[in-house]
Amino acid sequence: MKVGSMRYLAGEGVKNIWFNRLMSLASVGVLVACMVIIGLAMLISENVNKAIGKLEQQNVVMVYMKDYNWALYSDKNTEEQPQTEETTSAEETPEQPDQNGIVSSDYKIHSEEEAKAFCDRIAKLDNVVSVEYVSSNDGLETVKKSMLDGQEEYFSFLNDEYGNPLSCAAKVTMEDMAQFNKTIQEIEKFEEVDTIQSQGDLAEKISSIKRGITVAGLWIIAILILIALIIVSNTIRVTMYNRKLEISIMKAVGATDSFIRIPFMVEGMLIGVISALVSEGLLYFCYRVATETICTTLGTNDIVRYGDMVWILLAIFLGIGIFAGFLGSFIIIGKYLRKEGSEFSAI
Amino acid sequence: MDNMIQTAEAPAIEFVGVSKTYPTGTNALEDVNIRINNGEFVFIVGKSGAGKSTFMKLIMREEKANTGRITVNGFELTSMHRSQIPKLRRTMGIVFQDFRLIPTMNVFDNVAFAMRVVGASGREVRREVTRALAKVGLGDKARSMPLELSGGEQQRVGLARALVNSPKLVIADEPTGNVDPNMSYEIVSLLTEINRRGTTVLMVTHDHNLVRDFQQRVIMLQDGRIVADNPGGDDQ
Repeated sequence: MKVGSMRYLAGEGVKNIWFNRLMSLASVGVLVACMVIIGLAMLISENVNKAIGKLEQQNVVMVYMKDYNWALYSDKNTEEQPQTEETTSAEETPEQPDQNGIVSSDYKIHSEEEAKAFCDRIAKLDNVVSVEYVSSNDGLETVKKSMLDGQEEYFSFLNDEYGNPLSCAAKVTMEDMAQFNKTIQEIEKFEEVDTIQSQGDLAEKISSIKRGITVAGLWIIAILILIALIIVSNTIRVTMYNRKLEISIMKAVGATDSFIRIPFMVEGMLIGVISALVSEGLLYFCYRVATETICTTLGTNDIVRYGDMVWILLAIFLGIGIFAGFLGSFIIIGKYLRKEGSEFSAI
Repeated sequence: MDNMIQTAEAPAIEFVGVSKTYPTGTNALEDVNIRINNGEFVFIVGKSGAGKSTFMKLIMREEKANTGRITVNGFELTSMHRSQIPKLRRTMGIVFQDFRLIPTMNVFDNVAFAMRVVGASGREVRREVTRALAKVGLGDKARSMPLELSGGEQQRVGLARALVNSPKLVIADEPTGNVDPNMSYEIVSLLTEINRRGTTVLMVTHDHNLVRDFQQRVIMLQDGRIVADNPGGDDQ
């Protein structure tokens, strides 16, 4: 198609909007409402995801290892001990138990180096972001600080008289809470593992909240895109009926279907673009007011900034607007050209 | 070009055993056989419901025949793909009974519209529209709006629009139906003049006086059949 023709057709599309301005304005209004709701849904979803991300980071798993302390305090180990002695005695000279009656084969982690090496093995698992070695002494200090704050003297017996009952541990942080159980199962397979302390319920809840938000968001977006499509289609349909005479003349003199379609598609897409720009501005204003109020009320600053989302929102709005405008007009005018296009009959 | 018959003697319009029945069951045309040569002027007459409109719609390929073969300006219409229809229509000009002028455009733009939609350049549009308006005697009315013109003048604008793309065939559907008798003669005189320059003209009319006075070939339709085909202007 020639450049002159394209210019002419684009001009006709712009003219359509002006001649049909009330309907165009109504369409822009409804499209803006749809886009602002989509934008808000996305911003809310981002904020919830950010909050969940923080929760996820705090949802660490403590993997306690079978070290000397474990052998010392584990009832199970005490029961199993005679059997171990029996099996080893047949093959080699039995190791002499220490003052607590424990031999090295009673436990799996014999040194800090072994514990750290085990941490490295856990770190290699999928979905594991980081693993931090926590010695039994550090573990006890943490417990004291978090649970016994200000009452240390009452619990000094833990070190002095009875020793430290905690085993050394690996502090594991996971990436995706949806794979929480699977990762736990993999960690449990290591023979060095005694117990795993985790908040499995919380992980499941976080994971289901995330899933719920994603699904709800997608539904909202899909429904609103459909509404946008219907609105643009109706506007184009009105324009088309207003220009029925011109279409019939165009067809009669030999204009191609695509030539007839272009002004309507330009009109539809332009309505989409105008709506996208207005939505972006309106959403920016609304979000700013809302976040300022929320931040002041809750005393937090931990909210997704509009600036971080501005381009992606604009791209999405333009995408929805242009897509709805293009498809809406394409379908409506195509239907008309195929079935109702009348060149010779009285209009 | 697809569907085009390339022979020197190809007629402007040829119907061979053409029948058309609408989905409602109405038999609009039945076994129509006709040949209209290039450069002919033909009146199509008949009462309402005789099949005149269907005949025109088949020529424009607005409707498709159920049986038979139709050739127009070298295009074989019965097997023609939909995408070829614009090419066929660019070989013909159409004059409507109700003028079909766009009220928001002036005379010049109404005529230019027919050229713009087939992708003509601005220069061509200016040259050809001026010529077409001069041909129908409306050179001085280019900036007037359609509603400022009389019925006869409006129909002449319609005629200029039909001629502006230099068609091989002009189809006029009762072009004198909405104008006074004097203007009717003027319109048909213009069509005759166009025909004299080599354009085939096909005109549907109810006006027996015009048919008698202009002494051209007359095809009479009745109940979907051709009941008379007189070469010399007798429509009885």
